[in-house]
Amino acid sequence: MKVSLSWLQKYFEKPLPQVRAIAEALTFHAFEIEEATGDLLDVKVLPNRAADCLCHRGIATELSAILGMRIQSDPLRETLPAFPLAQELTITVEDPGKCARYMGALVRGVTVGPSPQWLREALESVGQRSINNIVDAANYVMLSIGQPLHAFDAGKLHEKNGTRALGVRSARQGESITTLTGETYALPDSALVITDAHQDIPIGIAGVKGGKTAEVTATTTDLVIESANFDGTITRKTAQTLKLTTDASVRFQNRPSPQLCAYGMRDVLSLITDIAGGEIVGVVDEYPSAPTLPSVSVSLARVNDVLGSSFSCAEVEEVFTRLGLTTRTDGEIFTVTPPFERTDIIIPEDLIEEAGRILGYDRIDPQELPPGEPGDQSRFCGIERMKDMLVEQGFTEVSTQSFTKEGDILLANPFDKEKPALRTSLEENLKEALTRAHYYAPLVLLPGQKPKLFEVGTVFPKSGEYLELRMTERVPHWGESAHTTDNLSVAKLEDYGRDYRPKRYALGSYQPFSVYPFIVRDIALWVPTGERQEDILSRILESAGDLVVRSSLFDTFGKGEKVSYAFRLVFQASDRTLTDREVNSVMEGVTKMLVKKGYEIR
Amino acid sequence: MADITPGRLHPITIAIRDIADIFGRMGFGIAYGPELEDEWHNFTALNVPPDHPSRDMQDTFWIKGEKGKVLRTHTSPVQIRYMEEQMKKGIPPPYRIIVPGKVFRNEATDATHEAQFYQLEGLVVGTDITLAHLKGVIERFYREYFGEGSKARFRPSFFPFTEPSVEIDAWFEPKGKRGGWLEMSGGGMVHPSVLESAGVDSKKYQGFAFGGGIERLLMVKYGIPDVRLFHSGDTRFVYGFEEKAL
Repeated sequence: MKVSLSWLQKYFEKPLPQVRAIAEALTFHAFEIEEATGDLLDVKVLPNRAADCLCHRGIATELSAILGMRIQSDPLRETLPAFPLAQELTITVEDPGKCARYMGALVRGVTVGPSPQWLREALESVGQRSINNIVDAANYVMLSIGQPLHAFDAGKLHEKNGTRALGVRSARQGESITTLTGETYALPDSALVITDAHQDIPIGIAGVKGGKTAEVTATTTDLVIESANFDGTITRKTAQTLKLTTDASVRFQNRPSPQLCAYGMRDVLSLITDIAGGEIVGVVDEYPSAPTLPSVSVSLARVNDVLGSSFSCAEVEEVFTRLGLTTRTDGEIFTVTPPFERTDIIIPEDLIEEAGRILGYDRIDPQELPPGEPGDQSRFCGIERMKDMLVEQGFTEVSTQSFTKEGDILLANPFDKEKPALRTSLEENLKEALTRAHYYAPLVLLPGQKPKLFEVGTVFPKSGEYLELRMTERVPHWGESAHTTDNLSVAKLEDYGRDYRPKRYALGSYQPFSVYPFIVRDIALWVPTGERQEDILSRILESAGDLVVRSSLFDTFGKGEKVSYAFRLVFQASDRTLTDREVNSVMEGVTKMLVKKGYEIR
Repeated sequence: MADITPGRLHPITIAIRDIADIFGRMGFGIAYGPELEDEWHNFTALNVPPDHPSRDMQDTFWIKGEKGKVLRTHTSPVQIRYMEEQMKKGIPPPYRIIVPGKVFRNEATDATHEAQFYQLEGLVVGTDITLAHLKGVIERFYREYFGEGSKARFRPSFFPFTEPSVEIDAWFEPKGKRGGWLEMSGGGMVHPSVLESAGVDSKKYQGFAFGGGIERLLMVKYGIPDVRLFHSGDTRFVYGFEEKAL
């Protein structure tokens, strides 16, 4: 949610602190800030607060509570005007379960035109485009208090007996709509539409986007304004199916209170008549039942027992007051009646969270756990003991992907269409890993060391998942009858691990490998006994330069006064494929150097 | 057979041993659960509402022809399975477990995202367990895993299965570089409905839970640039570290 600081400032009498301080206040007491630049904050409103905080008023109330700065006038606490009933407008909601409230207002005689500068600037400051004064007014009110709004051109709605009629119903099979921006969408049956009820044609996708049919244009004079509450799930699914996520759909999917509709209507009517003129004929409010939020109680002792804090009664009470929650304090028990927009306050723990975050989690001192029984890690130690045995036998552990080309269990929605199944065994992945391990052996293993791999991982045959241990070959040490695979889910690993302490290793920083091919060269030479192979190798490396990524002595034998040393050098560049020619010339240099020093090359 | 050159353990194994050791000294056991989960354990019992976006096809891998089966999206279902099992055996809290295990997310992969990765879950339940204990446990873990200078910081967050919920940052100073706060894990006080789902009396017991990626811990500690290296089956990655037996 993009928030403009100057927009926020409108809620406060006193000047707000610098952007940095605001970002910090929100980060540690409310919401993460994705970006803070100049006048703009990108606030990552948490899902449980998206019902009331996807708007400037919501962020302002949070800041007010965190910084202890009073809001000069909260639009959701000001009284609502009583509008006359619009006789010339009817509204029919097919299923109030899908549309809890629908308010429609009839406005006559507006002049559609460009918005005043302050409004254009406000919208542009949060990355919105100014369209015309009517559309801009609706957007401005939504971004101010969170209620999505829509304006239809009343003149484009069918008139019958002097009335215009709106309907809210589920989309019919095969129904489609062309939206304001000109795209045509085939509507899923699950979508909810707004209709021109006299003709029963869709004029808007409820909670998502308005249709072209009743678009407000430069020649529009009469409006029907919608301030409604559509079901969160339907709105989300429709937006998802149509790949049409809008500011309105994002708000509805987070279930704002239907009470909010009236505040949205009040503000948008006031703004429209202010900047576009016109006269409010009346309002129709289809609202069969208003929800009430039950009060929630929590004691000070409980707050501190859950948080491990030592907050005082006065501190906690002040948090609730600052958040604008109506609170009664009896002794040390707080009873909070949430305001209509705080649909997230349901259980005592919700109030504990408010106290914890506003007072600050930095005020909670870390505490050691009370002493307890030692935990049971025997199964883990059993598995790790198997791994330690294999490493001792020269095996290297790898980890591979659980998805494969074929298997007994298929994913309904694979990401990689080439691998839509779950592995039934580790065999295939290990075989493939071994092929690569052979190729990479000169880079990681000693000359003559044979790559042997194992993996411990979950496999998913039809008979049910289990933890498989698989090796690329038998462990000779384990005898002729030993297998290359074992089902660790049925093995008695608890007993095997009970008194075992897995081996521990310290690792250094990761050394990235080059993705380019490598070239192996061997060099063998006669050396007088007494000369150390390390010294010879370091001479060779010095001459060979930094293309050598690995070197080792792989053969030694003595003959009289002389010893033969054979070294293996692995060449690889981090930025290109080496050529044989390049490496040959390096080796020539090495040979020349050794000959010059008096060694005999074999 | 004395001349066999030993092989190597995968760095995830080495890390989980470090983790198990640190938490073991704080009295934590290790629990396991299936990777192919049912919707109830993965979502419903964890207080995730029926139409929550995380249940959508674009976030979760569902199983063809088996309605209500998913690849677990987190290790949290093991919280439920563990508590259920204990209660069935007639063993009430205190509980103290960690769950290291593979989880799956249906998302595009890049250097910091993988469709399959390891998570470390922690669960402590008792009569007097607080958010301050979570801070104490996590801070000790970071100090022992990352080094003495490390510490933990909480920020407000939201998860359906914890209330209050926090985002947990770790302070980490790589050798010779400036330190910084890194987002490592989520956590909070176990939601009463979660305890009730598992048959634990939420009037009598309370506790904390946390969960975060294991690969991320290693990437930070050892400077590994790409999460996709971990489960590539590539021996060059396994051998990409100087290794010293302790």
